[in-house]
Amino acid sequence: MPLAESVFDYEARLAACARGEHAALRDLYVQEGPRLLGVAKRLVRDTALAEDIVHEAFIKIWNGAAGFDPARGSARGWMFSVTRHLALNQLRKQSRETPFSEEHESAAPDELADIHSARIHRCLEQLEPQRRSCILHAYVDGYSHAQISARLDTPLGTVKAWIKRSLNALRECMG
Amino acid sequence: MTGESAQERDELAGEYVLGTLSFEQRSEVQRRLANDPELRAAVDAWERRLLELTDLAEPQQPSAQLWPRIERSLERLTVKKPLTSWWNLLPLWRGLSAAGLAATLILGTMLLTQTAPKPSYLVVLVAPQDKAPGWVIQASNAREIQLIPLGVVEVPADKALEFWTKADGWSGPVSLGLVKPGQALSVPLDKLPPLQPNQLFELTLEGANGSPIGKPTGPIQAIGRAVKVL
Repeated sequence: MPLAESVFDYEARLAACARGEHAALRDLYVQEGPRLLGVAKRLVRDTALAEDIVHEAFIKIWNGAAGFDPARGSARGWMFSVTRHLALNQLRKQSRETPFSEEHESAAPDELADIHSARIHRCLEQLEPQRRSCILHAYVDGYSHAQISARLDTPLGTVKAWIKRSLNALRECMG
Repeated sequence: MTGESAQERDELAGEYVLGTLSFEQRSEVQRRLANDPELRAAVDAWERRLLELTDLAEPQQPSAQLWPRIERSLERLTVKKPLTSWWNLLPLWRGLSAAGLAATLILGTMLLTQTAPKPSYLVVLVAPQDKAPGWVIQASNAREIQLIPLGVVEVPADKALEFWTKADGWSGPVSLGLVKPGQALSVPLDKLPPLQPNQLFELTLEGANGSPIGKPTGPIQAIGRAVKVL
């Protein structure tokens, strides 16, 4: 079972990876593997492909451990960023706008209850529901502008403007 | 891109992290991140702001095969590619793998059967990531070495490959000059102590005129240690 994030020392494990200790990478895998796989699976919507991405992510984490700079953010956050961007690269490369599939799960706004950080929760709540949906569909489901436009039945230009303004509002709200 | 306002840069960073950029735009951002600290700072800030949204994806138990697969890849990857201050990383130097050593021995044997006189030292320089051999160094005496390319590598027009060496006990690496891709080179070691077993050699990517500070600053393209031939 993963430990509480506050107890588990991600930075120390990364430093041990940089020293070549396989066991440290395994600790990170036990701690975050299921969550990273969940994030990747939600984005690419295919379990085998999601496992390929998590595999690649852990190799990247291993290789990047020595160059990890804590001044740029938390080690845990970096692991999620590495995984998400691999999944997003894959998604954008393979789709280059494949037709929208109705089978996609949808991040409904009521999922906000699952977000444990009060800060982003409060800031998202201040957005109009449709604009909030744009942000969640993009970040969590990996939808492109065009896919969000189809999903929300809203013109593409409107979706792009909503996203731009929502990001500005989030930055203002969160600092 | 020049003339980009802070606002535009922040919007680009936000949409990059959000995931809405096209494949081409993503590639462009990823290319810029390597040497654009302002864009990097903007992206880092967005990564921090939005990280909690990853809680919305339901965790999923990986298959039993996934960790063994990762571990097998690790074993093939014993040399890491560090991003900063790589010269001081003990694991990097330690880490020249069995695979690298095997390549050394195989290629060394091949060279031995083909060349005369018999070299006293051999080094195979391999790429840090995939261990692909890129160059061989041979020395038939301890005062001069030959650098022999095994293929042609691509070097960007504004960059050059710089050749370095460091033996155990030296305070830092010493430049042996610039190397043209695909060209064999003889380097006298007259200003350096004689070759030692285990002495490190490597090629790094530097600016067109070489490193401005006399120490390697760019990424390692190939690296290896000297093996004394019995």
